[in-house]
Amino acid sequence: MIIAVQLFGPLAEQAGRSRFELTLSGSTVGDVVAALSVASPSLRIDRAVRFAVNTDYAETTAPVREGDVVSLIPPVGGG
Amino acid sequence: MFKITADPLSIDEAYAAVRAPDCGAVAIFVGTVRNHHDGKNVTRISYSAFKEMAEKEFARIADEARARWKIGAVYIAHRTGVLEIGDASVVIAVSSAHRAEAFEACRHAIEVLKKMAPIWKEEFTESGKAWISG
Repeated sequence: MIIAVQLFGPLAEQAGRSRFELTLSGSTVGDVVAALSVASPSLRIDRAVRFAVNTDYAETTAPVREGDVVSLIPPVGGG
Repeated sequence: MFKITADPLSIDEAYAAVRAPDCGAVAIFVGTVRNHHDGKNVTRISYSAFKEMAEKEFARIADEARARWKIGAVYIAHRTGVLEIGDASVVIAVSSAHRAEAFEACRHAIEVLKKMAPIWKEEFTESGKAWISG
């Protein structure tokens, strides 16, 4: 299936782009992150990075479905 | 009302959004761009956000506050784009029948927003720029 991935802030800067379309065989957020690491080896996805499926925070074990957008949420700085 | 906007924030709008006949208190928090951070002179800050998710988080923060305190309405707005020193980056307003709840819920809302809302801050100083979290 094809999953869209969005990057924000410092991660978008590291990757040099903010959006990816990944074809993957697995079906969790963790599978998406693994595929993204292959597609963009310069990305540093450490433990401080959180994930969202569509507009909700999600764990790496959360399922993803065709059409979902997975977002990588680096440490936030609002306020 | 919950919004991410590139437009200047309006405290009047926040006040109008939450004031109510049964509320004797309105607490408003305004976060502004400060000219220093970690001993460096800050010249400006650029904010970016995942708008749809941030606005949903704002609504969730308000729901959480309403479940915890007896309050009236909640308003949360955060600005994006390049802000100058003194510009308002965030405005939160909470109304309640009595002042204690409005103060507490407003404080809670800004603390949770800072941890949870998908918003990023790039700080510009004399020595360059850096992503700042927390």
